[in-house]
Amino acid sequence: MKKFIIVFSCILFLMGAMLGSASAADTIKVGIVLPLTGKLAKFGEIENKSFLMAVDEINAAGGVNGKKIELIIEDTTGKPDVGRSAIEKLITQDKVPVIGGGYSSSVTWATIAVAQQNKVPFLVNTGSADKITEQGWEYIFRLNPPVSEYPGGFASFVKEVATDLKTVAILHENSLFGQKGSKKFVKQAQSLGMKVLMKEGYEAGAIDFKPLLVKVKSKKPDLVYMISYIMDASLLMRQAKELNFNPKLFVGGAAGFTLPEFHKNAGKAAEYVFSATLWTPSVPYPGAKEYYDKFVAKYNTPTEYHGAEAYAAMYVLADALKRAKSLTPKDIRDALAATDMMTVFGPVKFISYGKKTQQNKLPTFLVQWNNGKLETVWPKSIATKPYVYPVPKWNER
Amino acid sequence: MKKYAPFLLLFILIIFPLVIQNSYYQHLMILVLMWVVIGSGWNMIAGYTGQVSFGDAAFFGTGAYTAGLIASKLGLSAWWGMAFGGFTAMAVAFPFGWICFRLRGAYFALASLALNEICRHIATIWEDLTEGMVGILIMPSFLSKIPYYYIALALAVMSVLMVQIVMNSKWGYYFLSIREDQDAAESLGINTHHYKMISLNIAAFLTGMAGSLFMNYMGFIDPEVVFSLHDISIMAILVGIVGGVGTIYGPVVGAFVMVAVHEFFRTGFFGFFKGLAALTGSEHLTVAAKYIGQAHVLGFGILVVVVILVLPNGIVGDWGKIIRKVIPMKTKGVTT
Amino acid sequence: MEVFLQTLVAGILKGGLYSLIGMGMSLIMGVMKIINLAHGQLMMVAMYITFACFHFLGLDPYLGLFIAMPALFLLGCLIQKYTLNPLMEVETILPENQVLMTVGIGMVLTEIARFIFTSDYKSVQTSYSGATFFIGETSFSVALVIAFFIAVLFTLIMFWFLLKTDIGRSIRATAQDKDAALLMGVNAKRITIITFGLGSALVAAAGTLLMPIYYLFPDIGGPFTRKAFVITILGGLGSTVGAIFGGVTLGLAEAFGATYIGMAFDDMIGLIIFILVLLFLPGGFKRLTKI
Repeated sequence: MKKFIIVFSCILFLMGAMLGSASAADTIKVGIVLPLTGKLAKFGEIENKSFLMAVDEINAAGGVNGKKIELIIEDTTGKPDVGRSAIEKLITQDKVPVIGGGYSSSVTWATIAVAQQNKVPFLVNTGSADKITEQGWEYIFRLNPPVSEYPGGFASFVKEVATDLKTVAILHENSLFGQKGSKKFVKQAQSLGMKVLMKEGYEAGAIDFKPLLVKVKSKKPDLVYMISYIMDASLLMRQAKELNFNPKLFVGGAAGFTLPEFHKNAGKAAEYVFSATLWTPSVPYPGAKEYYDKFVAKYNTPTEYHGAEAYAAMYVLADALKRAKSLTPKDIRDALAATDMMTVFGPVKFISYGKKTQQNKLPTFLVQWNNGKLETVWPKSIATKPYVYPVPKWNER
Repeated sequence: MKKYAPFLLLFILIIFPLVIQNSYYQHLMILVLMWVVIGSGWNMIAGYTGQVSFGDAAFFGTGAYTAGLIASKLGLSAWWGMAFGGFTAMAVAFPFGWICFRLRGAYFALASLALNEICRHIATIWEDLTEGMVGILIMPSFLSKIPYYYIALALAVMSVLMVQIVMNSKWGYYFLSIREDQDAAESLGINTHHYKMISLNIAAFLTGMAGSLFMNYMGFIDPEVVFSLHDISIMAILVGIVGGVGTIYGPVVGAFVMVAVHEFFRTGFFGFFKGLAALTGSEHLTVAAKYIGQAHVLGFGILVVVVILVLPNGIVGDWGKIIRKVIPMKTKGVTT
Repeated sequence: MEVFLQTLVAGILKGGLYSLIGMGMSLIMGVMKIINLAHGQLMMVAMYITFACFHFLGLDPYLGLFIAMPALFLLGCLIQKYTLNPLMEVETILPENQVLMTVGIGMVLTEIARFIFTSDYKSVQTSYSGATFFIGETSFSVALVIAFFIAVLFTLIMFWFLLKTDIGRSIRATAQDKDAALLMGVNAKRITIITFGLGSALVAAAGTLLMPIYYLFPDIGGPFTRKAFVITILGGLGSTVGAIFGGVTLGLAEAFGATYIGMAFDDMIGLIIFILVLLFLPGGFKRLTKI
């Protein structure tokens, strides 16, 4: 008994002795928090690669005022509490003056509070819960639009083209993104003059959506709006096809519906599904297509909007570091606040509107699967293919 | 010497944050202390009373949500959660134990697992009350870790003392008799249902307190975090088993080992491999560093399998065995 | 009416698969009196085997049964022999050490799968994956119907095996009274090894049959483990018929719950039924049917 207590105490001291980290002088450290393992690793990996690609380009072009940027990437494993440990380590151990990343809403939400409290600027590039920029926290910036603005492009489509949509059914997964997004969409649908017939959540990973879909089918909605990740999305569409369920329009709320895996798994059932998205390689921003090509050439796998967000965020961070008076968190924060630049993800300028502060405002787009390809269909000015609406019935295809 | 060892440990723990100012290590130690509390609770019901619970997260989450809701709905300080968290967890434990203690052994374990999942679903679905998966965020009251550290330390000391006092009382003997042979205990006139309830409620109280502390310290909870089967319930079991089932200091050792192992693997041995890879420029080491980071759950799993096979009574429980293995010379002297 | 019929069909078809999952667990629990909390993870391993056969060898998932089942039988035997049986001889405070061991094994299996196949979602797309036929207004998924009938077939085989063969009789004897079986000359250790192997092979069959309609990632095991123990408790330990009843009941409860209460509740419904059965019908359906 007493021996282990002694040994235990020794370990405790040893742990203390392990302190002290070497610091390099001629690099600028930038901390990044991303989920590299766990359930969200797939997107975390795309963002990770995009960050690394961007930082390589920046450093190859001479870095920031002659100094190279060194990325310190911490794994959040997709869990808020681990994310907190990660950001604590970045701030106190690595002493980074600025942080980027932040994949899922819940992890981002938990980590930004630490950044704000320690007064270290944090540029969020993916976490999309509205409240992230509604706290008035002066050290938190967000590059991507909040979840409530995701269907923005869709709203104008409904107003101008799909004016005959009168009723809607909303299905969403029970996650932060799903629960928030569906509530916002209810309001949006009502303001567009649609009647919300039902709104129902489900636990991600269900085998069989048929009972749910049968219920939706019996209510005969014109529009089915779904907020789901890839696999639930493909099962929902496959089983809708199996049930011969024909609303006028299926729309996916970002997340799972725009990924190549969705089409691979849903097969024909994915055809003509619409989805709101923030970015496609065909967006009218300089460098967007080049970024996509470079990424595919370098990593041999496709990228999507998360990657573009990360890539753009790295350039925004580098730009702010260039303009900052000194490399203290305070000065970098001021530099970030004054950002006004163009990226592959669109123009970046942090403004305040509504309840939000330091939020970048961007338009969203509507895409549609057509012959196995994801085509941008709205706004018309940048469409790669004309939209197909109304969608043909399953048995008429 | 033996008598003073706990005081020595306590002394070290008290001066720890004063000596080691790095807030990252302080953060880890707060987690260790929190797990000491949860582990002691689990040890009470499972280790001493023999009713293995897979549902600690139900109590932990209830405690955390109590603190969170007090802050978000009533607008009071979340520290009030520390006063009520333990009791709300008992409010969950009481009906559950009342109904489910007629089940024995593995069946009770399954029922507690079901309780865990049911609580998680309720917290997810009842959006009006709990905000669902959006979770609850509060701004932590202190920037420094030191206040949290001492609160956690006080809680940990309290829970270890509580277990010690209870186990030295008459209750403790009843608990042990239930663990050893429930039917025999019953036939001796011990109201086993009654004492199992007491044990469970003590466990729930401690776990709920730890939950409230978690809310105050982390500042963020959502159902997947605090009602997690793997990250809370099973982790609590691991803390208990690795440290030593049915020993006072088992959870202390278990908590330290588990948090250290978790963090070791997550950071790739505190960046040791990454550093080595950068130093030597070896491609293989970079890949190895990446895999080690990803393998932390695998490391956990293997640790469990090995500990159960080799040290079925945990580090503290089988301390004598370890000593004999490590220092065979000395054993001879002792045994003769 | 259409809604009701479709829900009924969905529940029964899903129930067929569930009973296959539950049967393996029920055997193991009946003989060893331990809860195998790695059951879903064993199913996950079988699914990856099927996936690998399909992906690399182009083997149809249904033919994958002939590889996945023997492989899992072997894996099950090894697990029992080298990790669970040794625990029987060790003096420990907690009798539940074996249960905790299965938790550890489950974690190891999941993480090894993640190592090899990464966290990415995998799926097997066959010509019949999305195929359906209609009877009246009600749609039947071809793959689910096939799975249902194969599940029924396996149940019948198991039934015959347990009633008519020597090993089957020994398994039943061990499940009923271990000490008596030992006295009657049953090699209990061998029986536990075979039982664990059989249980694993059965859940492997369920996993393989699920492959054409579902998808796969390393964390898929957990929810299925939960379903498996709910089914087992519903049906009664060691009961083949009970497992079928349990599986179909759970399938129906989930389907009707999803339609008439809400999809978000479908997991919770199973768990509440589970606790109710534990309390009011301990022993499960086996108590009513006596088989």
